[in-house]
Amino acid sequence: MRRPSRTATISLIAALALAAPATAGARALLLSGSTSIFPLMTQLASAYHKATRQPTPKVGQGTSDAGINEVAAGKVDIGDVSRDPIVGVDPHGLVFTKIARDGVCVITSPGNPVTNLSQQEVQSIFTGNVRDWGEVPGAKISGSIDLVDRVASSGTQDAFQNIFLGETLKISPSAEAEESNGLVQNKIRSDTNAIGFVSFAFTTGTNAVGYQGIPCTLNNAKSGQYQGVRNFWMVTKGAPKGPAAKLIAWITSGNKATKKIIGSDWIPIH
Amino acid sequence: MSGGSRDRRAELTLGALAVGVLALIALMIVVVFTKAWPSFSHNGLSWFGSGGDADVQLKAMVQNTPLPGHSIYYFRAWPLLWGTLVTTGLAVLIGLVFSTFAAVFIVEFAPDAVRRVLDPVVRLLAAVPSVVYGLIGILAIAPWVERNLISQQRKHSVQEIVQLTGANLGLAILILTVMITPIMVSITSRSLAAVPQTWTEGSAALGVNRWRTMRRVSLRTARPAIIAGAVLATARALGEAIMLSMVSGSRGFAANPLDGTTFLFEPVRPLAATIISYVDGLSVVPLAQTLYAMAAVLLVSSALLSLAGWGAKQPLKKYGIRA
Amino acid sequence: MNAVAADPPAKPRNKPRDSIRSWPLTDRIAYGLCWAAGIALCAIAAWIVLYMAIKGVSYLKPSLLVRSPVGSPNQSASGGFLDPIEGTFLVTAIGIAVAAPLGVAVAVWLSEYARPAGLARAVESGVETIAGTPSVVLAIFGLLVFSKSFLAFLSQTSAGGAVFGRSFLTAGLTMSLLAVPLIVGATREALAQVPAHVREASYALGKTKATTIRRVLLPSVRPSIASGITLGMGRIIGDTAIIVILLGASLRLEGAGGAPVLSILRGTGSTLTSYVKENSPAGEGNAPQKAYAAAFVLLVIVIGLNAIVVRLSGGQARADGTV
Repeated sequence: MRRPSRTATISLIAALALAAPATAGARALLLSGSTSIFPLMTQLASAYHKATRQPTPKVGQGTSDAGINEVAAGKVDIGDVSRDPIVGVDPHGLVFTKIARDGVCVITSPGNPVTNLSQQEVQSIFTGNVRDWGEVPGAKISGSIDLVDRVASSGTQDAFQNIFLGETLKISPSAEAEESNGLVQNKIRSDTNAIGFVSFAFTTGTNAVGYQGIPCTLNNAKSGQYQGVRNFWMVTKGAPKGPAAKLIAWITSGNKATKKIIGSDWIPIH
Repeated sequence: MSGGSRDRRAELTLGALAVGVLALIALMIVVVFTKAWPSFSHNGLSWFGSGGDADVQLKAMVQNTPLPGHSIYYFRAWPLLWGTLVTTGLAVLIGLVFSTFAAVFIVEFAPDAVRRVLDPVVRLLAAVPSVVYGLIGILAIAPWVERNLISQQRKHSVQEIVQLTGANLGLAILILTVMITPIMVSITSRSLAAVPQTWTEGSAALGVNRWRTMRRVSLRTARPAIIAGAVLATARALGEAIMLSMVSGSRGFAANPLDGTTFLFEPVRPLAATIISYVDGLSVVPLAQTLYAMAAVLLVSSALLSLAGWGAKQPLKKYGIRA
Repeated sequence: MNAVAADPPAKPRNKPRDSIRSWPLTDRIAYGLCWAAGIALCAIAAWIVLYMAIKGVSYLKPSLLVRSPVGSPNQSASGGFLDPIEGTFLVTAIGIAVAAPLGVAVAVWLSEYARPAGLARAVESGVETIAGTPSVVLAIFGLLVFSKSFLAFLSQTSAGGAVFGRSFLTAGLTMSLLAVPLIVGATREALAQVPAHVREASYALGKTKATTIRRVLLPSVRPSIASGITLGMGRIIGDTAIIVILLGASLRLEGAGGAPVLSILRGTGSTLTSYVKENSPAGEGNAPQKAYAAAFVLLVIVIGLNAIVVRLSGGQARADGTV
């Protein structure tokens, strides 16, 4: 039994030793962050791989703030962030590169097709002053309003707060806080009394409510008529270097592939 | 002698592996408590107290923005601890009663055909993965609960503070009970069947009916095993994270028993489910330390439970019945 | 679990039977409750099995089993769950490959050597501690350990030098901790039941202890080791918490680049359990039909494993995880 076990051990060590340098070569980029950017980034990642034969970047998600923290800690190469940088709060040394713009829509269930809400109405609903659909003009149902919010580390929540509510007003703390756009979309689809807000790419299967008289559509967002628009950023620790710089350069180069992908549900800026 | 040295080598290798496992566990305990210490030291004993919304405090850590007037480590775990206590406690209590009756049924009253069906049934219920329980709960039972049991008045009554959905405390307790009952049924029924036959026959000879014999003789003899089963079930309930994160509602809210029956419809989030919900933020140091503090609480609880289980089994050995 | 006495002899057919009618009311109520509990158990199990069978069979198409998942927002239209099935298989294989030798080695050491006695007791408590630890705690400990740079070869590394720490290897290694107590328990019980004269006969023939263990004892307890391993596999397949934390949340098997097999092992992916969670309302996929189909496949696998355990242990398997 001695000889076989010794040979086995030696060959195992040899295999690992050979494998180590072999794996040191091509390494895929790691990205994480905003759940709004996630569908865009996954498409861009596979298109990048097709165009340049670089290994497909791996995209995770965990809200914008988690992305910022992970890139600052060096756990991922690039962070996807859907809110603007906040001086004094964000860790030092991060570089934000804008890649696209995105619309944020207020959504309700298909069973409650509200066509439009004014800023006043949105504010009173989301701060919890108005609690019943009966008090909302244009609502097609009655009953208590189920508010759906995002978790505090969400960039989309930040954007919604700034654009729709302004500096002072805050979303009611009794609202249900969902981790991601997808979960908000699920909730709204299944609960007729619910109202929430999502990135434009997540409005399928729900009723997108117009804001200040302008319907929330991609064209209106691109033309600038719809006001609920915010930036998408890719964040690196220090200026982008190496494979990360290549990816960011490709995305911001405005080539046909990226323009087509970004233009499908988002607003290209390059 | 080569045989003796080979023997020695075998013993050393096996011993090394065994000690390796022990060292790994010791490392885990040390690491968890070391990482948890800053959270406890910054908050002191009020870590276990109440004071604000636990979710808000955890999110403040992710955003690197301390809440006004507090340090970034500020955390009050009471809503989560209360959620854990209520779900685990009620589930084990209900499960204990349910499983005791079921075990008595299996051992004493069931016709043979029914007993042959019940054995695989109990094994089946124990084998179902927790994520399948969670799926059934959230896709089949939660919508029904929301449509039929949560009326508009009920929603309005607590709308200022929290929103009621189908995923709530009641559903969590229900599914958790179903998950842990098979463990208790199995242990209790085995112990009841192992009660010396002379005792039960002697009781019958004195004219005591079967139920009374069960209650006065068998259940009392099996009491340490019932306790051991309850301990195992509690450990399982404490550690259940995925199923509870799916069905217990997504807020670390301290359900208020003074709300009457609405208490059962309020969302909660026990400790293990909270750890899983916030695991994305582990790269933020204060959040990681708070999560490790929660893990430390869980470790201490399961250690105390193991101790209690060991203590409960001791009297049983006196009768030569091993559980 | 500790060793059990041999199962008591089956109860004789002619049990003393008294008519229920003669019992006082409280006893009759208790009798009814026992029947209710037993029937309720059967009813719950039947409902779960039937519900999952109906939903699963209605949504399960053979194409789902062989196509890879597609990461599109419209999950219900396209893609299958081939990658999660492969992922489940991979994680279980890695977990058992580590847990089986380790578990058997620890069990043999505890049963045959166990010197010094204090160390043996410590190892025993260590194994019991693992058994009682919630899998979430094991997972975050695993994440911490595997994020250290000297273990970087087990997963990927990002540009900043931080180790990702999430891969099939890391998840599998942490999963092995779940299976070790089950394998240790099953093997120890079986070794304890081997009569002393078997060992003595082997020594009388001049064999050393090591040879006795390898050639006499282990082959004779092989069925129990197999049941222990199958129990461990069931536990691993059903666990979701470790997968969610340690496997990296990619829908498909994504390699880490480099040598072919090692790339997959160091890469991320998903398993049936995380796939079910993702597609449930608690996850992003929003494809309940896929979730039902995958949950059905998962249930069938776990029940099948359970049946194998029963077959291997001659019908003695218990729902509490002992054999």
